[in-house]
Amino acid sequence: MTRKMNAVARCERLRERYMNGDLDRRSFLGLLGAAGAACGLATPYRALAKEVTHIRFDGWGGVVSEALRKHAFDPFEAATGIKVVDGTFGGGDEYLSRVKASQPGEYNIAHLSGVFDYARYHNLGLTSELNEKNIPNLQYVIPKLIDVFRKVSGGALSCVPYDYGTTGIAYNRAHISDDEAKVKGAKLLIDPAHKGKISGWADWRTRMWYAALQTGQDPNGIVDEDAAWDAVRAHRDLALKYWNSGAELMSLLAEGEVHVTEGWSGRIYALQEQGHDIGYIDPPNGFGWQECMFVIKGSPMEACEELLNFMLAPETAIAVAEAQNYPPALDPTKVDLGPKIPTLPAFDPSGTLAGLTFADPAYWNSREAAWSKTFGRVQRGY
Amino acid sequence: MSVEAREARQPWILLAPALSAVTLLLFVPLLFILVYSFWLRTATGADQPGFFLDNWREALTDPFYRDILLSTLRIAAITTAVCALMGYPTAYFIARSRGDKLLMVLLLMLPFWISYIIRTMSWINILGASGAANAALMALGVVSEPVNMLYNEAAVILGLTHYLLPFMILNVFVSLEGIDANVEAAANSLGATRWQSFLEVTLPLSLPGLAAGGLLCFVLGAGTYITPLILGGPRDAMFANLVFEAIITQLNWPLGSALSLMLLLVLGALVAIYNRYLGMTQLMKGLG
Amino acid sequence: MMGWQLIRAWAIAVYVFMFLPVGVVVLLSFNDSQFGSFPMTGLSLRWFAELWSNEAILRAFRTSVALGLLTALISTTLGVLAALALVRYRVPGANAISTLLIAPILVPEVVLAVALLLFLDFLGLHKSFALLLLGHVIFTLPFVVLVVQARLVSIRRDVEEAAMSLGASPAQAFFQVTLPLMRPAVLAGGLFAFTVSFDDVTGTLFWKPGGVETVPTQIFAMLRNSISPEINALGTAMIVMTVGLPLLGAAIARRLAMKDGG
Repeated sequence: MTRKMNAVARCERLRERYMNGDLDRRSFLGLLGAAGAACGLATPYRALAKEVTHIRFDGWGGVVSEALRKHAFDPFEAATGIKVVDGTFGGGDEYLSRVKASQPGEYNIAHLSGVFDYARYHNLGLTSELNEKNIPNLQYVIPKLIDVFRKVSGGALSCVPYDYGTTGIAYNRAHISDDEAKVKGAKLLIDPAHKGKISGWADWRTRMWYAALQTGQDPNGIVDEDAAWDAVRAHRDLALKYWNSGAELMSLLAEGEVHVTEGWSGRIYALQEQGHDIGYIDPPNGFGWQECMFVIKGSPMEACEELLNFMLAPETAIAVAEAQNYPPALDPTKVDLGPKIPTLPAFDPSGTLAGLTFADPAYWNSREAAWSKTFGRVQRGY
Repeated sequence: MSVEAREARQPWILLAPALSAVTLLLFVPLLFILVYSFWLRTATGADQPGFFLDNWREALTDPFYRDILLSTLRIAAITTAVCALMGYPTAYFIARSRGDKLLMVLLLMLPFWISYIIRTMSWINILGASGAANAALMALGVVSEPVNMLYNEAAVILGLTHYLLPFMILNVFVSLEGIDANVEAAANSLGATRWQSFLEVTLPLSLPGLAAGGLLCFVLGAGTYITPLILGGPRDAMFANLVFEAIITQLNWPLGSALSLMLLLVLGALVAIYNRYLGMTQLMKGLG
Repeated sequence: MMGWQLIRAWAIAVYVFMFLPVGVVVLLSFNDSQFGSFPMTGLSLRWFAELWSNEAILRAFRTSVALGLLTALISTTLGVLAALALVRYRVPGANAISTLLIAPILVPEVVLAVALLLFLDFLGLHKSFALLLLGHVIFTLPFVVLVVQARLVSIRRDVEEAAMSLGASPAQAFFQVTLPLMRPAVLAGGLFAFTVSFDDVTGTLFWKPGGVETVPTQIFAMLRNSISPEINALGTAMIVMTVGLPLLGAAIARRLAMKDGG
């Protein structure tokens, strides 16, 4: 560890000289390589300086990428000379199909949703193995969030946890009282009294999760599958439409098109921040999820690890969290998260996340093929 | 080289760039899709190479796909008819007006400057519960509660019509422009009423444009998937949505390949019929 | 004349229909609130200010324009040549070739997108701007072929032949007789190619190389989070540029022409 810290300190000194203009870029990178080689890293920085010129990062567009650009990518580029090429995607499924059609090494780091997504990448053989020694900031992350990923990939990590949130029930307070929402819980979404004023996410996992809650079942162990599909059908018949993006979710609620829908906690918080009278509850066993920064197999590992370390630096993680309204994966008992984050929905001050239910990746992924297809049919009236 | 031989080679020189582009960038890649359609998707999400007929059996025998394919063709046909009805008189007006035709055509393309998704979503601001139409109706006291006009098949057709209408108008306009206005005048002077001369002279001469516009509207309408997502209700879907879901959501490329080849075959057959009966050779015969 | 009045009223109604969404987008770009509820609560220029400081979307705009212009240029050239061959010559299997050239719009775009990437992978090539351009050329080509063919059919061959019988070479006949007659179709084809390329989401999502975003892909990513009225502001700005500037130019040209004439 001390040797590592020495190397880091040396790199820092070199970076300072580079920034001051004492060193041109080529000799800076060369010396950086020498420094890395000197401290005996498995794949020395020399190789990195020679080959790695850029890292490809893909994530959600808008505020999130702006915060990452400012607090992580720009400082990282200044420190290492490696460019971060950032791209955006509109959804996790779309991105995975792009990765599947890509060549190894083309995509490097991605902001993925859910442990089940991590498991999907693992099943497709896309996981890499991070050297955690190179990511000292991992010590600030809530251990429970790390452990679930380890379990999927057999001990090693291919990602670092980054943020978490819930998909709960959002309702228009002008038409539905807090009491009604609390009493009815998930069943509010299949309440005939609100026919034509209901919406929901066109995502088969969310539909089945809430169907489980509506039929009094454990979402991670649905026994009566038929009853759950009937609940999905009941919701379909009462719904005005399904939404497919945060933009649709927010405008459906803000413009009064619908009175109740599931919603992403951070997006609903943004509506509340703007003064819309929207309520939000996580019913018992509500849908919790966590997002991670995933390194895809075939990426330059040392460079990616260093970038992940930059991204996990409390200053960066907090800035991103405040921009997207989802709490960071940092442990509130170890890091001061500032004034805004404790007010975010789904935030857990204890750092244990005991109150949230996450999707069991083994359970959901083994049903993915069948259920995603069934939902495609049920949605169209079958 | 003889003149005939040169004459015979010339069209192929002209066709070569377009044909090689389509071959290299469409047909060769489609071979990969064809191969994929015989593979299988395993439970883990990986693809298993081989020669399996499962996807084709599913695509061809399952009534679910047949029903959605039929309703897709129906929606595309209605949209095309609406576009023709709205578009033909408009194109005629532009072609025969004494105003600035180029400006009128350019104005027609104006909506394309606003991204398709945004354009489609803006119908929600017009027809939605808190949209302009409902606000106006309520202000006038016609209704007391917002009227629900969106999220049904009619809304999907409306969105598609708005997207496709310029293609129809421009195609008809271009062919009307090619007709000598004197031909119509001559018919009139021979005692035909304006309506007769339109029906017997102008309309037949403008059929290539109407047919080309109709084909574009139909094919583009049948291949759309974003409009039903934004303006449709929970059940409204078109065939391309199923392809999109198979490939993107379910990551089932083998099935998605079979489904898309199926759509390609159906639409291709329609285009072949178009080319046979309305296409170039046929029309040239008629004109010759 | 009754009929003409009717046609004019019809055409005006159609234009109103086409402009409704444009009008709403322009209106909402001045909206005080993020969401488009009517009646509007107030006016503001904040979305234009945000657009101006949104470097990402301005960069995407420049990419889209460059891509659209190049696509239109290549696609129109290929399409016009092909249409000429099909209409002006007796080509064996012309019907089949016609169908082949229209095929790119028969394939669902998501499939075309994946298919092209699989092929690229097979060749061991990396994504690049050139590939994105080729992809756009492929699916804009049918638009050009269709509209140019339809126009060419109605240009009578004897006009060309008359020119040649008067001593023009085939090339002269083409450039001085046929091409001017084809001009509306060539312009329409180019316009189609540009707008279709400018508006494409699905194919672009798959083909764009790292760090390249077009306006639609940028919007697509922004919508994931929330409604961003700066997109409306961008629409307004583009409409002002494409309508306002040419109108101004035409007015100036007319003024100058009048001066020359007088």
